[in-house]
Amino acid sequence: MAKAIYDDLVFYDFEAADASELIRKLGAEFERKGFVKDTYVDAVAARELEYPTGLQLDGFAVAMPHTSGVHVNTPAIGVARLKHPVTFGHMGDPEHLVEAELIFMMAILDPDDQIEWLRSVMKVFTNKEMMSELCFANNREELLEAVKKNIGVETVDA
Amino acid sequence: MKDVKLLCVCGSGAVSSSMVAMKLKDALREHGYNATTVETSPNSVAGMVESTHFDLIACVSPVPGDFSVPKIDAVGMLTGLGEDQVIEDCLKALGS
Repeated sequence: MAKAIYDDLVFYDFEAADASELIRKLGAEFERKGFVKDTYVDAVAARELEYPTGLQLDGFAVAMPHTSGVHVNTPAIGVARLKHPVTFGHMGDPEHLVEAELIFMMAILDPDDQIEWLRSVMKVFTNKEMMSELCFANNREELLEAVKKNIGVETVDA
Repeated sequence: MKDVKLLCVCGSGAVSSSMVAMKLKDALREHGYNATTVETSPNSVAGMVESTHFDLIACVSPVPGDFSVPKIDAVGMLTGLGEDQVIEDCLKALGS
């Protein structure tokens, strides 16, 4: 299993008008770099409409758009700090809208194999200090450093 | 340790439900439960609870309908807000 975080899937000041555009733009980066199949973006966008992935954390809102592994080639987590917050429905409660500032786009092939990644992401969600480091990064370098430090899990083939 | 079986539900039937499953297992272990989990999507819940015995359904996506199995909103496990409430709800549903 490769690493979770790739430098070229970390974005600072990423811009999108709405959740749909965001998923398309960010998903296109995954696709262009070969991480996902050409069905991924549509699948993530459709899932987001039906089952939104926004999450209101303690002081920050995020979203974690994703879909099932059949659309994924190489698992990876992309992180985008948005220039302007984008509205997402809240997971489990689509009527509840949140203004997401940070996006964790997930290309998960098999949750059992990538369980340590999911564990790291959850740890960040529930840790205000880690979230602050990500949200208050002043430039791409700081963001990348915070991402690597806090969720940059690497595992080695057994 | 008491064995319990949880059905964890999210939109993709895989990613967020696995996150919740992992965390619920850890939390329930501290309360004397050895939980096994199955992850699924909302549309499959009815069929799953019919064919297999579950003690609890933990949802991070809305799951319409009433089942013979208690249903818990588990989004708090992901956000960390209201995590204690989710665990309390689970323990209550499991009868402790």
